[in-house]
Amino acid sequence: MTTISLDNIKYKAEIRQKTAKPLLWIGLISIVMFFAGLTSALIVSKSNSIWIKLEVPSMFFISTILILFSSLTYQLSMSFTKNNQLKFATITTILTFVLGISFTVTQFYAWQQLYQSGIFWAGEQSNPSGSYFYALTALHLLHLFAGLISLLVVVTKSLLKKYSPTNVLGIQLSLTYWHFLTALWVYLFFFLKFIA
Amino acid sequence: MSAHQHPHEEQDFLFKYVFSQDHKMISKQFLITGFIMGFIGLSMSTLFRLQLGFPGESFWIIDFLLGSWAENGVMLPDKYLALVTMHGTIMVFFLLTAGLSGTFSNLLIPLQIGARDMASGFLNMLSYWFFFVSSVIMLISLGVEGGAASAGWTIYPPLSALPQAIPGSGLGMTLWLVAMAIFIASSLLGSLNYIVTILNLRTKGMTMTRLPLTIWSFLITAIVGVISFPVLLAAALLLVFDRSFGTSFYLSDIYIGGQVLEHSGGSPILFEHLFWFLGHPEVYIVLLPALGITSEIVSTMSRKPIFGYRAMITSMLAIGFLSAIVWGHHMFVTGMNPFLGAVFTFTTLLIAIPSAVKVFNYITTLWKGNIKFSPAMLFSIGLVSTFISGGLTGLILGDSALDINVHDTYFVVGHFHIVMGLSGIFGMIAGVYHWFPKIFGRMLNNNLGNAHFWITIVSSYGIFFPMHFLGLAGVPRRYYTNSEFPLFENLLDINTLITWFAILAFAGQLIFFFNFVYSALRGPKAPQNPWKGNSLEWTTGVKHIHGNWPGEIPTVHRWPYDYSKLNENGDYVTGEDFIPQIVPLGEGELDGGGH
Repeated sequence: MTTISLDNIKYKAEIRQKTAKPLLWIGLISIVMFFAGLTSALIVSKSNSIWIKLEVPSMFFISTILILFSSLTYQLSMSFTKNNQLKFATITTILTFVLGISFTVTQFYAWQQLYQSGIFWAGEQSNPSGSYFYALTALHLLHLFAGLISLLVVVTKSLLKKYSPTNVLGIQLSLTYWHFLTALWVYLFFFLKFIA
Repeated sequence: MSAHQHPHEEQDFLFKYVFSQDHKMISKQFLITGFIMGFIGLSMSTLFRLQLGFPGESFWIIDFLLGSWAENGVMLPDKYLALVTMHGTIMVFFLLTAGLSGTFSNLLIPLQIGARDMASGFLNMLSYWFFFVSSVIMLISLGVEGGAASAGWTIYPPLSALPQAIPGSGLGMTLWLVAMAIFIASSLLGSLNYIVTILNLRTKGMTMTRLPLTIWSFLITAIVGVISFPVLLAAALLLVFDRSFGTSFYLSDIYIGGQVLEHSGGSPILFEHLFWFLGHPEVYIVLLPALGITSEIVSTMSRKPIFGYRAMITSMLAIGFLSAIVWGHHMFVTGMNPFLGAVFTFTTLLIAIPSAVKVFNYITTLWKGNIKFSPAMLFSIGLVSTFISGGLTGLILGDSALDINVHDTYFVVGHFHIVMGLSGIFGMIAGVYHWFPKIFGRMLNNNLGNAHFWITIVSSYGIFFPMHFLGLAGVPRRYYTNSEFPLFENLLDINTLITWFAILAFAGQLIFFFNFVYSALRGPKAPQNPWKGNSLEWTTGVKHIHGNWPGEIPTVHRWPYDYSKLNENGDYVTGEDFIPQIVPLGEGELDGGGH
C-alpha cells in the first residue's frame, strides 16, 4: 500500500523497490510464452511426413555445462555481496560474464557442427527440423545478449563499489534473469534432444 | 520537500507533452493517436463499401483520396484487398487494442487504485512511443510500391510468406510485420506496467474486492495480453524467416507461375494455430476493457450498486481463461480432426456462461434504477445490446457443424463486427463521454452526444445485421464485387442499403469528432465530480498534476458501488445518493464489496 510523502528521489527508489522484481517476473512470463509458442510450433511441424530426426550437436552439451556453471558463479557473487565480501563478488561476476561469452562461442561452434553435417538453416536443402534448431537456439542467444549487457552493468557498478549488503536490487534482477536464461536453455536442450 | 508535498515538479514542454512519463498525458497520447488511426480505418471501410454497394461506379471521392489506387473513380481490385486488410488491422489493433486499453488503463489505473503514477513511467512512455512508431510505419506501408499488405488482417501464408505472391505481399507486407512487431513490444510494455501497478501500488484500504470493475477488466486484459501476444510475435518471426531467409516453417510444395519453389516441409495451418492463439484472446483484449467501462457507467448512471460484483469478476476471469483454449473454432475447415473440433466447440460454447452472467448483471443493475441517459450511458446500453446480439450468432459460429456452412461468409463479418467491433467501440466511446471531464477538464456537448449515439446505433445495426442474411445466402467475405455472380444478383440491394448505412455511420462519427475537438478546447469547464461517482479519480482536482493528489493519497474504506444506500429509516446514508470510497464505514455498516 502506498504512502508517498517524501522527496522525489526517495519516492522513485521506493517505487523501484516495490515494482522492479514483479516487472521482471511478468516480463519473464512473456518470454516463456514466446518460447512456448515456438516449441509448440515445432511439435505441430513434427507431424509432417518429411520431418527428420536430428542429433543434438556435441557442442550443445558443453554449452549446457557452461551456462549451469555460470548460474552457480553468479549466485556465489550474490552471496559474497550480501556477506560484504565485495572483492570476491566482483571476481565471480566477471567470471560469470566470461562463462556467458564462452557459452556464446560454443553456440557458434554448435551451429558450425550442424552446418558441416548438412543441416541447414534455410534454402533448398533445408528442412524445418533443422531450421527449428537454429531458430530456437539463436533466439535464446538473443535473450542471452540482454543478460550479458546486464552483467556488464553489474560488473561496472561492482568495480565502482555501488553495491553493498543492503543495496543488491540491481544484482538480484540481473541474477534472476540469468537463472531464467539457464533454465530456458536447459529446457531447450532437453526439448531438442528428446522431442525434436 | 516537506512531508506533505507530492512528487510533482515543473517540466518543460518536451517532457510534459511529448516524452511525458505522466500516465494522464500518456493516456491522452494513446487516445488521440488511436482516434486518428480509427478515423483512417473507418474512412477506408466507407470507401470500400462504396465499391461493394455500387460496384464499378465512378466516385470522385475515390479518385481524390486513392489516387493511383483507383482508375476513373473506381478502386482497383488489389487495392480493395489492401484497404480491407489495413482496415481490419487498424481497427483491431490500433484503435481497439492500443487506443482503448492504452487510453483507459493509463488514465484510470493510477487514479482509481490511488497511486501517484504507473510502476514505471519510463516503460509507460516507451509503450506509447513504440505504438506511435508502429502506427507511422503501418501508415507508411500504404504508400510503398505494390501497396499495403493485402492478405487480410489475419495475414495467412502463403500470401504473406511469399513476396512474389501478390502486389501486397511485397514491401507492404514486410512493413506490416515490422509495425506489428513494434506494436507487440508496445503492448507488452503496457501490460507489464498495468499488472504490476494494480498488484503493488494500491492505496491503503484498496483491497482487491474494493477495486472498481474497470480495474479488474484492465488487469485481466493485461494478463491475457502478456500470455497471448508473445505467441503472435513467435508466429510473425517464423513468417519473417520464411519471407526473408528462405526457411519453410509455413511453406511446402508451392508453385508460382508454373515454377516449383524450393520450400518444403512446412504448413500454413501451423501459422493459423499460432495466429489464433493470439487472435481469439485478442477478441477479449478488445472486449474486456469495454465491459469494465460499461460496468462502471451502468452502475453510476443507474444510481445503483453493480449487481453481482464478485460474479462479474469471476466471469471476467473465466472469459480470460477460456479465451486461451478456444482458438481452434477459427479453424474448423482446415481438416481438423472432428473430435478435436468437438472439443473446441465445447470450450467455445462454455464462454456463453460467463458472458450470460455479465449480461444478466448489467440488466439487473439497470432494472428499476434511477437511470440518467447520458451519452455514456446510452453507449453502455448499446454495448449490452451488441454483446447480446453478437453473442447469439457466436453460438452458431462456435458450433463446428453449423460454422462450416457459413465459414468465410458475410455471416462471420456481421458476427464479429457486432460482438467485438461495435461492443469495443461502444465501450470506448462510452468511456470517452464519461471520463472526458477527467481527461480534458471540460464537458462534452450532451445533445451532440445523443445525436451521435442514435445515428451510430441505427446505422451500425443497419450495416451489420443484414450481413447475416448475405452470409446465409453464401456471399463470401473479402470479394471485390458480388455483382459478377448470378447467384447473388438479387442481393445487390442489400449491399447498397448497407453502404448507405455505412455513409450514415461515418457522418455520425464526424459529429463526435467535432464535439470532441471543440469541447476539448472550448467546452464548459467540468466540475470535479460531474456524475457523482464514488471511485477515487473523482477526488482528484480538475487540473492535472503529476502525482495526482496534492497531499497524501486518500485511504479507501468501502467498495466503489455504494449508490442510493439507505439507512434503517429509509434515508440516504450521507444525505446524497452516493458515498465515495474515501468515506469511512458507519457503525455497523457493511462494506458492499464483500457481498
